[in-house]
Amino acid sequence: MPARSALTAIALAVAMLALAPAIAQTYPDFESQWRSGGDGDAWDPAKPAGLAQQAPLTAEYQAIFEASLKDQAAGRRGNNYRSSCVLDGMPRLMSLTAPMEILIQPGLTFFIFQEAFARRIHTDGKPMPDSEPPSFQGYSTGRWIDAHGDGRYDVFEIETRNFKGPRAMDSTGLPLHKDNETVVRERLYLDKTNTDRLHNEITTIDHAFTRPWTVTKTYVRERNPRWREYNCQIAPGAVFIGLDEYRLSPDGKLKPLYEGQPPPDLGYFKQR
Amino acid sequence: MHKTTGLLMALLIVAGAPALGAEMKYPDFEAQWRNPTAGRGGNPWDTTKPMGLGQEPPLTPEYQAIFEASVREQKKGGQGNSRGSTCILPGMPKVMNFSEPMEIIIRPHITYFVPMRYPTRRIYTDGRAWAKDEQPTFGGTSIGRWIDLDGDGRYDALEVETRNFKGPRVFESSGLPLHADNQTVVKEHIYLDNNDKNVLHDEITTIDHALTRPWTVDRTYLREPIPYWMEKNCYEANQHVLIGAEEYFVSADGKLMPVRSGQPPPDLSYFSEPRR
Repeated sequence: MPARSALTAIALAVAMLALAPAIAQTYPDFESQWRSGGDGDAWDPAKPAGLAQQAPLTAEYQAIFEASLKDQAAGRRGNNYRSSCVLDGMPRLMSLTAPMEILIQPGLTFFIFQEAFARRIHTDGKPMPDSEPPSFQGYSTGRWIDAHGDGRYDVFEIETRNFKGPRAMDSTGLPLHKDNETVVRERLYLDKTNTDRLHNEITTIDHAFTRPWTVTKTYVRERNPRWREYNCQIAPGAVFIGLDEYRLSPDGKLKPLYEGQPPPDLGYFKQR
Repeated sequence: MHKTTGLLMALLIVAGAPALGAEMKYPDFEAQWRNPTAGRGGNPWDTTKPMGLGQEPPLTPEYQAIFEASVREQKKGGQGNSRGSTCILPGMPKVMNFSEPMEIIIRPHITYFVPMRYPTRRIYTDGRAWAKDEQPTFGGTSIGRWIDLDGDGRYDALEVETRNFKGPRVFESSGLPLHADNQTVVKEHIYLDNNDKNVLHDEITTIDHALTRPWTVDRTYLREPIPYWMEKNCYEANQHVLIGAEEYFVSADGKLMPVRSGQPPPDLSYFSEPRR
């Protein structure tokens, strides 16, 4: 009997050790490089880009979207500000037009992007600090869920708020509301039949929409990751003054990007 | 008894899974680290000396002349060899001046340096050889190894070698240059201070054809107890605009401004619309 008690005590001690925050034993197998499972960056990957997305936009924002599409059809950028190196921000970032790596720590999960700043998802249960400045990525809090009750997390739920803009859902310029009061909810989990596929159910709540809009993105695990060094650089010949885009002529002068574009305000110059 | 032994065996197998054991081998590097001197009017490469010519870098005469020309140009209000205003990446070794905080994450095969606004630096510790088909980058390719200096079964230092660069790169914003051939080799020895585990040392030795000898500096970083991150986009923060050969500023309200008194406005003769 004493021997049995001793063994039980050792077993308990070992069990406690096993329950220590060992990442591989607690968290799902998310730590990897992930790539988009589809082509393009249409927000709803199940539908073609543009009007075919049938985005649940308010009448006002549907008009803004249609104007963006017309602008792009004329060779301009519409609401897509990526050419001026404005950050994509959330939720567009999660279309993974370039690879992303996930690293999990007990209080913080990192989404490390090839072509964007790392996203930090706080899982320590603390609220967003009052002093947090708004950003294109927003502030993300998350929680791990043991959906099957087997002692291992299966699902990662994230809520992201505190944005600045302008942001669009995809490169067509599908707009988000300029009040930047967007709330993005994500639910990430591995595919049941293929754990090399990661699903992200993303619900966007925004005043540009008539209802929450949910899409599911699927990412594919890359077992032999390669990384490219990315540095957003403005295209040669493009000149940005604030968000306004112009062109540089061969003789070094500023010229309009499109016919009828007004020139920049020179109110700060004394000699005119 | 048999049942208890079985349970014990099973638990031992679970407890012996690699993650826990591996985590315990590494020094306490996983934190946000800050440069204590960043944001105090310059970020000299050798932190024991003033920025610029006061660095007394071991430059060849050719590169000393390039450096002095850069310093002169900056005194006149130009950028010299510093290309920060074009949002070009600083690359190695300059990125290790931690102008903004950096977070370290350790995994058995890779150690990550995650900076606030530059690409994540991956230091491969899986024993790989130098890849022959890797594209040169500003950050280079880093291969490292963990060292157990005192033989106590726990790593104490990370040694890193970084090669395979592209340029142009400089050591600091005074424009202290690296050679245009980009054959730089950077060796780092990273370890916690013996007396204060909240201080991380990075002894960085740069071997470069712009230098007459390897140049070693000891940079120290402080552990940040309350990490703070900011989204900092170079282009958003960048107020410089180049139109032809003329540089201008963009004001906070998004309008073009002169950079010097009496600077004429840009020629707008290509615009037919009236000014706003």
